[in-house]
Amino acid sequence: MAFLRRKKPSFEGGGLVLFEDVQDAMTAEKVLKEADYAVKLVAPPPELRKGCDLALEVNLVEQPGIERALKEKDAAYVGVAPLRVGTSQLLEIVKATDFGGQVMVKAGNMKLSFDKESGAIVNVSGGGCPDIPYLHSELVDKKLSEAPRPRDIGFTLCALMLDRALEECLVLWQGGGQR
Amino acid sequence: MMLIAGTVPIRDFPLTMGRAVLEGEDLVVEGRRIPCAQGTGAMISAALAAVDYLKLEAPQVLVAGDIGQGKGTREIYEYLIQKVGDISPQVMVLHYCLPVMALMRRLCESVQGCPRKVLMIADAGSMYAAKAAGLAQRFDIFTPDATEMAFLADPDATHPAYVARHLFDADTGRTPELVAAAYEHENAARLLLVKGATDYVVDGGDIVATVDEPDVPALEAVGGTGDTITGLVAAFVYAGLEPHEAAIVAARSNRMAGKFAQATPATRVREIIGQFHAVFKEYLCQWSGVCYTAGGQQ
Repeated sequence: MAFLRRKKPSFEGGGLVLFEDVQDAMTAEKVLKEADYAVKLVAPPPELRKGCDLALEVNLVEQPGIERALKEKDAAYVGVAPLRVGTSQLLEIVKATDFGGQVMVKAGNMKLSFDKESGAIVNVSGGGCPDIPYLHSELVDKKLSEAPRPRDIGFTLCALMLDRALEECLVLWQGGGQR
Repeated sequence: MMLIAGTVPIRDFPLTMGRAVLEGEDLVVEGRRIPCAQGTGAMISAALAAVDYLKLEAPQVLVAGDIGQGKGTREIYEYLIQKVGDISPQVMVLHYCLPVMALMRRLCESVQGCPRKVLMIADAGSMYAAKAAGLAQRFDIFTPDATEMAFLADPDATHPAYVARHLFDADTGRTPELVAAAYEHENAARLLLVKGATDYVVDGGDIVATVDEPDVPALEAVGGTGDTITGLVAAFVYAGLEPHEAAIVAARSNRMAGKFAQATPATRVREIIGQFHAVFKEYLCQWSGVCYTAGGQQ
């Protein structure tokens, strides 16, 4: 008679948190599980090994929220990297488009537009993670210098890219002599 | 039945399924209000505008609150994994969700058990999950923008923020090259509507149409105008147009609505959505052959 075993839902994260030593990895696992993140202790591939031979597989999309949770609990880690070898670094390309009265800054897949005269954020577009509509509602109509930072209240890579766009908008706005 | 599933940016909004109606500037589902703004709200609103004009049944929507931590995403996917066989929608649109590959894999397995073909459309985080999990070919329609097209073209990327630099270029002139790479690596749905300065409609790897008029550059800055295109495509497919026809009419309608609204980067997406009926009235018959008189469909 064959025994049927219910298959556990598989976990495919796409990202690794890397550590200096095993104890740090164990601590981080506990911190992230308590914060309700799906994680799995794994051995990192040799080319990603930066410290010990234990890493945490995480959902790469959740990188900003995961790093914030670790920092809040003073859990030491070396860095977060895409699991797939050959995957490139986080996009650094930022582009600005001048529409006359407004400027749109694009960072990766995210775009943030502000009014050149008032410095108010007039729109957020792009992205596909669930914190982006939330960030849209939190940022639009606020001044660039007074808006919450997406890296502080968002949780995903889309939020991280939006933060880069906001950072560039601040540079452009303040470079224009505004505060 | 058309089913639209996605998260809404309201913390603790419970998992809710029902028909959405527009009330003022909000959508209302089972007595709960959702802003008609960037994301699933804009997509549902656009689909509603089209089915309302075409006098079709309004879509069922499945929504849950999620501000990025994945709770609402998991509720939506677990519900669909269990129930999609019973619901058996003709058209299913998956939208803003935390990209979780394992959930997408389980949902695609459940869809395969449906008693009839489900026409599957994905955009936003659900498209990211489908591609990252190697399930793009299970889908009938993806609606990426130019940046997301680079993500589909990169076989190693699991999110558009981690795209190989040589593929990342906002210039839609590179779209044909990216489209070819995406199909080569089996990371594209059967039909792609690539949204950009020029919109590309791609069927099975072949570019069958481009749309670049009217040219309203400010639409790129208006949050939710990509979502409205997806909602329109879904509605037009549900109405019986072939996917490539639906994509062309959706792209034209969205641009024309932007023109009618005299869009600037400060325009809100609900102002664009508010123009759809006027656009359909003036152009839908000419563009699609779907024509109405005061008495009904011709």
